[in-house]
Amino acid sequence: METISFTSQLFQYLITGLTVGSVYAMVAVGFNIIYNVTEIINFAQGEFVMLGGLIMVFFHVGMALPLVLAFPATVILVTLVGILLDRLAISPIRQPSVLTLIIATIAASILIKGIAMFIWGKDPFDLPAFSGRNPITVMGAVIQPQYFWVIGFLIVVVIALSIFFDRTIIGKAMSACADNADAAKLVGINVKQMILLSFALSAAIGAVAGVTMTPISLMEYDRGAMLAVKGFGAAILGGLGSFPGAILGGLIMGAIESFGAGLVSSGYKDAFALIVLLAVLFFKPSGILGDIEISKIKRF
Amino acid sequence: MLKIEGISAAYHSIPVLKDVSIHVPKGKVVSIIGANGSGKSTLLKAISGLIKINQGRIQYQDQDITAIPAHRIVGLGISLVPEGRQLFAHLSVQDNIRLGAYHYFKKSNRAEIEQSVKQAYQIFPILEKRSKQIAGTLSGGEQQMLAIARALMGRPELLLLDEPSMGIAPLIVREIFNVIVNLNQAGTTILLVEQNAKAALKVAHHSYVLESGNIVLEGIAAELLHNPKVKEVYLGG
Repeated sequence: METISFTSQLFQYLITGLTVGSVYAMVAVGFNIIYNVTEIINFAQGEFVMLGGLIMVFFHVGMALPLVLAFPATVILVTLVGILLDRLAISPIRQPSVLTLIIATIAASILIKGIAMFIWGKDPFDLPAFSGRNPITVMGAVIQPQYFWVIGFLIVVVIALSIFFDRTIIGKAMSACADNADAAKLVGINVKQMILLSFALSAAIGAVAGVTMTPISLMEYDRGAMLAVKGFGAAILGGLGSFPGAILGGLIMGAIESFGAGLVSSGYKDAFALIVLLAVLFFKPSGILGDIEISKIKRF
Repeated sequence: MLKIEGISAAYHSIPVLKDVSIHVPKGKVVSIIGANGSGKSTLLKAISGLIKINQGRIQYQDQDITAIPAHRIVGLGISLVPEGRQLFAHLSVQDNIRLGAYHYFKKSNRAEIEQSVKQAYQIFPILEKRSKQIAGTLSGGEQQMLAIARALMGRPELLLLDEPSMGIAPLIVREIFNVIVNLNQAGTTILLVEQNAKAALKVAHHSYVLESGNIVLEGIAAELLHNPKVKEVYLGG
């Protein structure tokens, strides 16, 4: 057996890290969308990812639907869950304070996790990789084709979102709600509808993350919480509310985890990322790309 | 055009408006003057649906709008320029103005909207120069102009203005009041709330004086300007 050179090993860690990081980035983007419209941290964000993976398994493996049908069907179904979350848990709260709403999302996440355990049980499920599992070797590093799908979908999500928020009036209206909800109402924006839309959007992105990551790392009912923690960490690391920040934060988070696991010890995998997160919070609480002035007026 | 009949409102169960009735006839400028905390802003918020009232009713062009939510009021032809501007501070000047047209924004009427944007820039030429700038970085006067421009994009028949002179240099205040007069002459009905009583009474046809939630005085603005009580309390003797 030939020995793997140190550089190619590092390259391997980097690629793996960026792939995992792409998933964190998508979760972080989901956090930001809802946060930007409502100031809520949606703790059920990880659950969207979990549901994305498991529902995809149901459609693609269970019902043997082809990929091109199962993928959109999954995204639509998880989006519906996001809409229900808003309609059943967020919207009915009469005099919402940000804190009560956050607690409502925690409750919802526990509920969703419980229902998922009821339906799928506790075992992890596998999903066939989108384009096979024959690895490609680049610079001595072994790369699963699925890695490209994950990173590719992150890019698609980013491009689609930047067009949506920069170019469309609905996207602008969503940003306006975040800036000043009362003023948004005064120009005729239905703020409740925008909140609903933010939940739908971030559920859809969560589903995409879940579907693309499951062939690499399997999926089980209780994966959501850890993904939410990592994604939240990525969002904070990059600067809560900033989309470029979320992506940068996610990729850094994934890379640190991967290098830490490879070079130091895989037992502390989860700790590395969180230590870096703590360090950022100590030295630059507004995050890497966050605006210090803005972070002063934020409640969270 | 706008009839407010005996409305009462409270803020955290502290009464702010007590049985207030006001009439704004079509084509006129009506002003409400009063000190800080007299309930002026609350009144405008109640009209535009941002807060709920406990009693009374608000009637606009033969329609009871008391229970209509804020985001649908603008579609009826009532726009509020809120106190403290309330811009979308992180969006550009241009985006702020465009969002003013949100309630009738469609692909099909893009030309019409661009026309309105042009008109807004004609009224406040400085905003055209600043169109790409982030709204939060404008000066106080420019922000006020932008807030008015955004409200005008909603094509109001009734424009509500809350303290447009607050924290603005006197020269700009004059410019803004000129705009108000011009808008009125072009057919927009205006309800103006002001602490700057002198300026408000000068541009208004009819005026109300609000004191701790009660209307204590009303009359033709030019007459109130010479009313001894108003002179003493609001015009500095």
